[in-house]
Amino acid sequence: MLSRVADSIYWMARYVERTENLARLLLSTQDLLLDAGAEAADANQFWQPLLMATGDDERYAALYPAVSGATVAEFLTLRADNPNSMINSVRAARENARTVRDQISDEMWECVNGLRLFLDSSEARSLRQYQPAALFERVLISSYQFQGIAESTTPRGEIWHFLRLGTALERADKVSRLLDTCSGLPTEMAPHPGSRPLRWAALLRSCSAWHAFHALSAKLDPVKVIGYLLLNETFPRSITFCVNEVHSTLLALCGNGTMSEMEEPVRLAGRLAADLRYTTVEEVMEAGLHSFIDDLQTRFNDIGTSIFETFVLYADAVPVAPANRTTNWQQGAWHAPAAEDAQVQQQQQ
Amino acid sequence: MASIFDDYRTDQFFDEVFSAPGVRRPHYGAVLDSIGGLNPVDFGLRQRTADNAFLRQGVTFTVYGDEQGTERIFPFDLMPRIIPRREWDRIEAGLVQRITALNLFLHDVYHGRKIISDGIVPASLVESASHYRPEFRGVKVPHNIYIHICGTDLVRDGKGDYYVLEDNGRCPSGASYMLENRNAMKRAFPGLLQSLPVRPVDSYGTLLRETLAHLAPPGVLDPVIVVLTPGVYNSAYFEHCYLAKQMGVPIVEGRDLIVRQDRVFMRTTQGLQQVHVIYRRIDDDFIDPLVFRKDSLLGVPGVVQSYQAGHVALANSIGTGVADDKAVYGCVPKMIKYYLDQDPILPNVPTYLGADDSECSYILDNLDKLVVKAVNESGGYGMLMGPHSTKKECAEFGERVKANPRNYIAQPVLALSRHPVFVQDHFEGRHIDFRPYVLYGDRVRVVPGGLTRVALKAGSLVVNSSQGGGSKDTWVLWEDRLDQVPGTAPASTPVA
Repeated sequence: MLSRVADSIYWMARYVERTENLARLLLSTQDLLLDAGAEAADANQFWQPLLMATGDDERYAALYPAVSGATVAEFLTLRADNPNSMINSVRAARENARTVRDQISDEMWECVNGLRLFLDSSEARSLRQYQPAALFERVLISSYQFQGIAESTTPRGEIWHFLRLGTALERADKVSRLLDTCSGLPTEMAPHPGSRPLRWAALLRSCSAWHAFHALSAKLDPVKVIGYLLLNETFPRSITFCVNEVHSTLLALCGNGTMSEMEEPVRLAGRLAADLRYTTVEEVMEAGLHSFIDDLQTRFNDIGTSIFETFVLYADAVPVAPANRTTNWQQGAWHAPAAEDAQVQQQQQ
Repeated sequence: MASIFDDYRTDQFFDEVFSAPGVRRPHYGAVLDSIGGLNPVDFGLRQRTADNAFLRQGVTFTVYGDEQGTERIFPFDLMPRIIPRREWDRIEAGLVQRITALNLFLHDVYHGRKIISDGIVPASLVESASHYRPEFRGVKVPHNIYIHICGTDLVRDGKGDYYVLEDNGRCPSGASYMLENRNAMKRAFPGLLQSLPVRPVDSYGTLLRETLAHLAPPGVLDPVIVVLTPGVYNSAYFEHCYLAKQMGVPIVEGRDLIVRQDRVFMRTTQGLQQVHVIYRRIDDDFIDPLVFRKDSLLGVPGVVQSYQAGHVALANSIGTGVADDKAVYGCVPKMIKYYLDQDPILPNVPTYLGADDSECSYILDNLDKLVVKAVNESGGYGMLMGPHSTKKECAEFGERVKANPRNYIAQPVLALSRHPVFVQDHFEGRHIDFRPYVLYGDRVRVVPGGLTRVALKAGSLVVNSSQGGGSKDTWVLWEDRLDQVPGTAPASTPVA
């Protein structure tokens, strides 16, 4: 498979997953506010964590005077000048899909393309204003559709592996950021059963983990919630589950002969998986959730970088003969709106 | 029976469907019965369904000069254009003859130059062609084929005779629309397609792949073939992707390829993999910054050297533009006579050369009656439609011709044939042309179909997609069961 194609497929999967997480986060925050009643008067408490989870608090502060539900939702959804907004993530997913549409199934391409057409439509703009929940649900469904189509139409070869890598790494990263937004909250159990640990409930909902967690534990013990999202090996959105997925996918990718000597990503992912397997939630709490997550994110980044170096830059690292020509190789995947090169305007016959 | 075509006017033009108002050409009988029975609302609904499918599937082209890089669908008209077998047989024979002569010409121009020394084509005409590549003099190309994929533009005049308007022998585009239009028709009128003996076009991908595989360097049994695109921002990116997918080969950008030891490799996750055949959709100018434009970032440094060394094949070859230069075009009938000792089956449109002094003054005296074209432009750019232009536009264009006569040719304005096109809620006649696709591999093959382009603006003669053109599916019939002497009743056939 072409290195550029691998990179684009990986990023297409990441951007779809990013979109899905953002939609769910917005939806669960909205629901949380409805549950919160009087507590919701301090909207800041609920919306600020969203900006932290997406890493956009500074950019937001530059654009808006105060944090409010309406403006945060606008900022994160259809705002074209926020590179991390939902519409820009979808656009990036779609542009990457476009560069590899000969490699993925037509159905996958049509799904991503359809989502972009929808978000660009006046229907989406009006939904965002009057029925935001309906908009977010539609985006969620598109993402589920995409995953389902990918699952049922992609041959289990390299394309599939890069799809899974992108999805699992993005998911692990997003869940870790969401956990981090709760790292400052008290972790003692509430003193009386009537109190509602709203933020922890919202955290579970924004990871689609509410039901799965409740099947395991009736009480919303914050430490148990942290343990579940961090270390559970069976729940598909827990960080440990995602890291195991990254590790097994990398093994599948590198297992075939020629790659056997380049195991840097495998080594990094395998070590992280082992560390998580032998970590207890008590140790995490002792070390401090925030610093634990800080370390995790550094390690996710290292894995991402080594995947890029291994699979995308590999061809140049192993020359057929001593390279005597410099080439202008750039990273493959599509990320930000790029200026149109005059040269692409060659006339069509 | 009332028909949606009852008020259709043919005016003074040759109409593809009606030989006179209300008089149908027999090969359109079944289609007219079927579509004619629909009401305008129904037809409009099917039209919108097809448009939405194109948008959803991303069957689009990028509009240049639009800052947002807007992608548009190539407007598609649901009423098919039908070519009966006897017409097609003649077209096919004419195209085979023409591509054969053009390839012999190219080989001659880059080798013995006999056609020049025999005084048939002046050397100055060849050497001043902007796509002539002296770097390729004496270079052997695989099987001596230069143009492997040709998209020849045909038009019909007021009498219905077919003419060759131009030969597109560099990177002709549009084949993907030929295939996608057929798919759209299968959805919109399944019964109609089933009931008529329409020849399928879906073998194009397979034939293209065979044509390319034929070029592989000797000894390579299972060649690695790629489609080389300028990138996602190119207006024809959809087509590049689509054809790659039809052939089951990778689509690559210049940055995916690297030349080492005169061999071309692509960068893969498993390391470098050698490439044997490149179906390049990048013009000569941009393909190799070491040889042509130094500032090109789209190309592959060293690919031309690798091609000359025979380690990789390019389709089309370098320097084919000299054969589709609009001034050299005028000499094609002479080439056919010279190389094949045959008369052209498909005639040229009469052409006046700016390079010829007396013809140039004729052009300048008759600007208001002629179509004047810059010889090395395509896509409907750089041309003057005399009768549709103001005096001022004519005068300005005249100055450009005087400044560089070699760069211009002129042709009489043809009364292009018209075809009914659905406009809002009824049918109107619009001018059309036709681009069939010719593949030259181990032999010459013409896919029975092509792209019928429509000038959507009333009265317009310009069909290019970049200039507001649209397209139609083209049905070539297996047999002329329905094609009887004009005037007789159409054969009764099952209708969708």
